[in-house]
Amino acid sequence: MKRRQFLRGTGALGATGAFALLGGCEQSSTEPQSPIAYEPGKPVPWINWAGNQSCQPQHRPAPASIDELVSVLKNAKGTVRAVGAGHSFSAVVPTDDTLIATDLLSGVIDHDPATNTAQVLSGTRLHDLGYLLADIGQALPNMPDMAYLALGGAIVNCAHATGVNFGSMGSYVNSLRLATVDGELLECSASSNPDIFKAALTSAGALGIVTDFTLQNQADFDLTEVNKIEPLEDMLEDIENRKANNQYFELFALPHASVGISVSTNPAQPGDKAQGQDDPQAVNTLRDVFNAIAWIPGVGSRLYDTLLTAVMGNEAETIRTGKAHEVLPHVRVVRFREMEYTVPAELGPACLREIMATIRNKNLPLSFPIEYRYVKADDIWLSMFQGQDGATISIHQYGDLDYRPIFAELEPIFWRYGGRPHWGKLHTLKASDLAALYPNHWRDFLAVRESLDPDKRLMNAHLKELFGA
Amino acid sequence: MRLLIFVLLSALGTSGQAAPTARQLKLLTVNCLQCHANIHTGAPVIGDSKAWQPILAKGKQQIMTHVVEGLRGMPPLGYCSACSEGDLITLSEILAGEALQETPR
Repeated sequence: MKRRQFLRGTGALGATGAFALLGGCEQSSTEPQSPIAYEPGKPVPWINWAGNQSCQPQHRPAPASIDELVSVLKNAKGTVRAVGAGHSFSAVVPTDDTLIATDLLSGVIDHDPATNTAQVLSGTRLHDLGYLLADIGQALPNMPDMAYLALGGAIVNCAHATGVNFGSMGSYVNSLRLATVDGELLECSASSNPDIFKAALTSAGALGIVTDFTLQNQADFDLTEVNKIEPLEDMLEDIENRKANNQYFELFALPHASVGISVSTNPAQPGDKAQGQDDPQAVNTLRDVFNAIAWIPGVGSRLYDTLLTAVMGNEAETIRTGKAHEVLPHVRVVRFREMEYTVPAELGPACLREIMATIRNKNLPLSFPIEYRYVKADDIWLSMFQGQDGATISIHQYGDLDYRPIFAELEPIFWRYGGRPHWGKLHTLKASDLAALYPNHWRDFLAVRESLDPDKRLMNAHLKELFGA
Repeated sequence: MRLLIFVLLSALGTSGQAAPTARQLKLLTVNCLQCHANIHTGAPVIGDSKAWQPILAKGKQQIMTHVVEGLRGMPPLGYCSACSEGDLITLSEILAGEALQETPR
């Protein structure tokens, strides 16, 4: 019997309820996998990756050129939204009027070997972009930990990776072109339409559709990533060293356990060799371990740690080495829902400790790893990192479980640390809350938005809540 | 990998499928192949007829339900927001290597 089969069988015993003695700590499946049903012969609905957002747009153009996109946008009916890969958890995409798909706006338009810059269409998926840039000897300086995102969606929702010397993805944009609802194509950079540039880089698509970005890349490079199981407190105690001594450092905290997983990534050295394999089902293994023992009375973190270490050992302690665009992203095929906040970097460890203690003390039924990363400050108006280095903390729940009770328990903790929510992920803040979190440029952003889209054609219900329009 | 895809696509039309358009091939490469040409994702790989047989046996309607709504690692719409129902059927047939049948086997 395979390890996972054994664990699932044991978990099923607990799930029968006969021995469910840890009240409140069971994980039960309550969420339907799809929010809207497929009906043969009818227009297919739009559904996001996580399966928590959907819509049935009347018009669904997919322009294949920038000229076509501008024309489509100018003549679009009703509320207009754009979509890339559909990986946002928040409701930035849904509209029942016009949904513009950017799948066909993909590829590198131009590049300059002398400056390592490349002009890239906004619908380009990150998994393609790494290879396209490698073909011209370039690489993104950093990448998120998965590459399913479209470049445009990633940048305007402030996607980021980890590394104290690396900003969000928008930090590496030299210029962009923005198609407005009036059918204009605006060149934006630090010297051309600078206010629109600073606003558009993190805008949740509220200003128009970015057609392409000119990215400041660097020469193609190799990396080695080392994953280890370690006591969480050891990592947090040593966090300043980890941050300073690794090009990219992040950790995963495991709810109800005292161990976590460190991920240290640095330039590859001669002789670096891969060890083990990245396991895209590892989070299901965690779930199986949790379900296998959560029902047993008196189980503490020591036994859970022992089991986790034994079960995950080979899969969590891995070394991956190769091209940066192959090492930085990971396969993520287990569906989940996510809430992420950025707190000031110096408050990160305290915030994470409070979250872990709350999960333990309230016996919250959560086993999905919590991701903890660092990102350098930038000056993008509505970036979560505007004016401050940030520590980002991401709470996930499995896609078939109701995320709301746990997110509701944990979200107020972020507020106490001055947390700013990720624009593409789940949170409950409204315009007045967000205005207080962005004191420097909130009004500037709203003024740019009003000037570009006074009739609110780009504002769906979610964006109206965000921006108070 | 790209040579493999070219060879596989060149073989289309021999199993009762309609030839895809250039637009559909772009949708395939932008969306589907990130998983279906990657042996580490657990998704059935394009051209691996053995891996596709249990899926094809479900019949067209159930396959399409899973394609549109998603199933486990398969994302809703296969990440393709530009795809119509017809596109999704064609792309599924390219990946599976044969036409989807109305009746489950």
